[in-house]
Amino acid sequence: MERARLRDVEKTTELPDLPMLILSLLLTALGAVMIYSASFARALYETGDGGYFFKRELVFSLLGILVMLLVSRVRAELLRKLAFPILGVAIVCLVLVFVPGIGQSENGATRWIRLGISFQPSEIAKLGVILSFAALITRFDTKMETFRWGIAPFVAILGIIVVLLRLEPHNSAIVIIVCTAGAMLFLGGVRYRWFVLGGAVMLIGIVLILGAGGYEVSRITAWRDPFSDPTDDGYQIIQSLYAIGSGGVLGLGFGQGRQKYLYLPEEHNDYIFSIVCEELGLVGAVAILILYMLLILRGYWISMHLKDRFLSLTVAGITTLTALQVFFNIGVVTNLLPSTGISLPFFSYGGTALMIQLGEMGIILGASRKCSAGFL
Amino acid sequence: MKRPKPQLPGAANRTILKRTFVLMGLFGVAVFIPLVARLISLQVFQYDTLSQLAADNQTRSSSITPARGTIYDRNMNVLAVSADVENVCIDPNELGLSGQDLDAIAAKLGDILSVDRQRIRKLMEDTSYRYQIVKRKVEQQEALAVRQYIAEEAITGVYLEPDTKRYYPCGTLCAQVLGFVGSDNTGLDGVEAACDSILTGQKGSVITAKGNYGSQMQFHYEDYADALSGNDVVLTIDATVQEMLEKHMQEAIVQYDVQNGAFGVVMDVNSGEILAMATLGSFDPNNYAEIGDAEEAQRLEELYQQAMEAGGEEREALLEEYNSQVANARLGQWRNRVISDGYEPGSTFKSITLASALEEGAVTLSDTFSCSGSTSVKGRTKALHCWKTAGHGSQTTAQALQNSCNVAFANIGIRLTGEKLYEYVHKFGLTERTGIELGGEASGIFFDKATLTNPDSYASLTSAAFGQTFKITPLQLVRAISAVVNGGSLLEPHIVKEVLAPDGTVLQETERTLIRQVISQETSDTMCNLLESVVSEGTAKNARIAGYRIGGKTGTSEKIDVFDADGNPVEDKIVSFVGIAPMDDPQYIVLVALDTPSRETGYYISGGQMGAPTVRDVLADLLPYMGILPEYSDEEGALADVTMPDVVGLSTGEAKKLLQEAGLTYRFIGTGETVLSQIPAADAVIPGSSQVLLYLEPVEDTATVVVPDVVGKDIETANSLLSQAGLYMKLIGAAGQTEAISAVSQSPAAGETVEIGTVVEVEFSDLSARD
Repeated sequence: MERARLRDVEKTTELPDLPMLILSLLLTALGAVMIYSASFARALYETGDGGYFFKRELVFSLLGILVMLLVSRVRAELLRKLAFPILGVAIVCLVLVFVPGIGQSENGATRWIRLGISFQPSEIAKLGVILSFAALITRFDTKMETFRWGIAPFVAILGIIVVLLRLEPHNSAIVIIVCTAGAMLFLGGVRYRWFVLGGAVMLIGIVLILGAGGYEVSRITAWRDPFSDPTDDGYQIIQSLYAIGSGGVLGLGFGQGRQKYLYLPEEHNDYIFSIVCEELGLVGAVAILILYMLLILRGYWISMHLKDRFLSLTVAGITTLTALQVFFNIGVVTNLLPSTGISLPFFSYGGTALMIQLGEMGIILGASRKCSAGFL
Repeated sequence: MKRPKPQLPGAANRTILKRTFVLMGLFGVAVFIPLVARLISLQVFQYDTLSQLAADNQTRSSSITPARGTIYDRNMNVLAVSADVENVCIDPNELGLSGQDLDAIAAKLGDILSVDRQRIRKLMEDTSYRYQIVKRKVEQQEALAVRQYIAEEAITGVYLEPDTKRYYPCGTLCAQVLGFVGSDNTGLDGVEAACDSILTGQKGSVITAKGNYGSQMQFHYEDYADALSGNDVVLTIDATVQEMLEKHMQEAIVQYDVQNGAFGVVMDVNSGEILAMATLGSFDPNNYAEIGDAEEAQRLEELYQQAMEAGGEEREALLEEYNSQVANARLGQWRNRVISDGYEPGSTFKSITLASALEEGAVTLSDTFSCSGSTSVKGRTKALHCWKTAGHGSQTTAQALQNSCNVAFANIGIRLTGEKLYEYVHKFGLTERTGIELGGEASGIFFDKATLTNPDSYASLTSAAFGQTFKITPLQLVRAISAVVNGGSLLEPHIVKEVLAPDGTVLQETERTLIRQVISQETSDTMCNLLESVVSEGTAKNARIAGYRIGGKTGTSEKIDVFDADGNPVEDKIVSFVGIAPMDDPQYIVLVALDTPSRETGYYISGGQMGAPTVRDVLADLLPYMGILPEYSDEEGALADVTMPDVVGLSTGEAKKLLQEAGLTYRFIGTGETVLSQIPAADAVIPGSSQVLLYLEPVEDTATVVVPDVVGKDIETANSLLSQAGLYMKLIGAAGQTEAISAVSQSPAAGETVEIGTVVEVEFSDLSARD
């Protein structure tokens, strides 16, 4: 047992990709600092300690970095073996969410499991889908062009997860997972026409959901004209726009934001980027976007330079996932996209999410030991 | 399905590579473009809008009420002024979240402010509100108690905000002219409403940054925008004159038991400035909702009690009745009848008719009019009766006015013609608003031209000619008669003299505004003489003041459109008098009208009997106050008041000389060379030619006498009765030795014991003045 574990965790002399490591650490550090500023007012109001959320986040950041470094040493083979178990665990968790006492509802949606630690099973599902898809695509190789191998198994996996997520409901996770899965299938060589079909199916799905007239409709209304209902549906997005807009080019200065004083809900979670924009201005916001951009480009760059197909696909999947999260999160806080609950990697408050994110970065870093990417 | 093409080894890897490039372009670059574009749009192009909205969102703004401007009279006496008070308000949202003992706070605030604690508790309940006023306009002492409570108990969610309260230091004086302000400091009536925008000033604000739910922000931000005080308004009103007018009107109301109040106005005939304007019964603008008339208030209170004692539906009905009566009483007391209500001017209007007829040459001073007491008029079903049923006989034009003869004026109207009368009524501004700076002005109701010029019927023309069957406002009448006596200029009346900035700079000054020339100077001069003769010889003898040349015209008007419960026209009358002085150079015009004097007082209900003495009393105060000194004619001079010189200690010769100079007669009592004592005492004011007593020998106690009753006696008899008693008579009112003139009142009253030499004021009235 001990030996097996030693075998799985390599003692390698090859170094992980340094730019990727630096970007990950930099974003984690910036995220923690911004959480301090963004959560200060609410922490003070709710707990009496302005640093409450920051301290917790700091602990998780350090733990997350440890996880990242540990994962970066995991052998590719083990990762590949773990692909389906992780997917299995994810599916089990997605079912467990509905068990009273384990799952927890918030605002009519059941997305959290609280068992000592609390986490969203959808986060595990994202990783499970990426790893299992990478494993399957690698295995099917050229057969990916066929329906039987290239489409059916993947759609089956996705189908289960989408249905479970829809039951929560957790539309944003569905969108992220489906898009990430799509990107991986795209890399796997699936024919373009399937994407056309897939796109059409998603479109029909969206129309059906909106036609059903659930809470999604009000989200769309609030997106189109947030000021039509400024105190209720439009409240959050309006407060976010106030924060972003009042930042201007140079920002109000770190810690000088005003919208975090209980005006902007979720100010240290999904809407932390609004506080970034308010305090650091366009300059700071674009600087952080550039960091994300570099991280994403570096991720794909590493993926392209990997000889191992499984690792290449996994790295590309994680990179795509991160990119989608960034795009959707910032799209939402700037009201470019309808409001939906997607957290911003590295920045949004949440211990387990950050640890999973850093674990994923660990996978990329581990993979990067095997490549000769060099500096861009 | 087509078989997949055979793939070369590594083909899958190449596909991945190519497609990774695509993803790299898409997710590494492309998706960032709309994000950055959106950020630029929000942070650069929408910066101004959004940061402003954010600031509004994060700040709580409370307004500072500006100090409302002061209203002064023409001598800068304060008529209305604002003082600082505070409103006590709560933030139910903040209170609800604070976890404080709300019952205790409500109880404590209730105690301090004398407000029902349940009501306060209820205000706290709806936490969707951020602002509720617990009590408005709290004065300094209560505000201090609240402030201490907040500080000591560290209460949050209870605030004090500055406000102002309006004070009217003169109480009821000039109430309808001043008006009043509502609880929001907006002028609701009178000058307060008409000049509201001048007086209001500009609201200031305090803007404080606040976290949501009232949480404290680390970031500190406060901005003050100073309130701009309102400008001051200086009225043309003279508070002293206003007081004179209201005082004598009130006396008349008591003396003649006037049922429906009175209205009066004093105007400068040459500038159009209003010196005083009054409507009684009045109210106190400090408590404008209270009923000012004590009797009416008492009656309403009884009605309320009655309602409270009743039960069920009856109570509802009575309460409704009570509420509507209170509302009516309020509206009634707030009404400025001088500008808002038309009334039938009656004979006072004859001055307008005559001025028009003289101007047009329709009549001349040498014309004669005969009056047999009644005459028939074309188109009129009933004969036209003069107020004097016996008739006035043959009269000159001047006598027609002096007698206020309706028959003569019907003829003057016919001579003038309907067209011309109509034209002059318009020229005299009787169908248009005067343009005074007050709201709620009425414009008068007059005949249409067709009715007045109907060749088949003179009914309307003749009654219009002596001032009946149409309505104009008192101010319109006063302005028109001013034009008659001031050389013919119809002016715009003014009540606002100046607008002053808070620092005293004059921002706006009202200038004399000539509307049009109505009659010539010559006609005006003639009218002055005629109006003076009405007082000296006509129906207005009771308006006479020794030493002054007074002119005027009496009026007794019927209420043409008021009916009793059976639908018959009421016999209530409005008696009035328009007085002008001094007639050699007219300066002031005074109108007083008394609405419905009682039939029980013994006075004949007429303008001459009731209106003229009231206006006389006003003028007798006004003219000396305005620096116009009496000039006695020889006849009057003998009776003019003189001040008793001090002759005690002087030799008889010196005393004689002094008393002769003063125009007094004297009688020495006892023998001796030196005056030891005198009656009356030095500085007593006694009628000229009175006999004073000089004692040349010591007298014991000052002798006292009982005042004889002189009411009903003519002047000579009264004077001799009083002299015999050792008293002096001061004559007020009508002078002249005719049977018609007799004493109507005396002070001190008959039967009182007074010192010898006391001056008894005796008011004489011309009882023949029945119009």
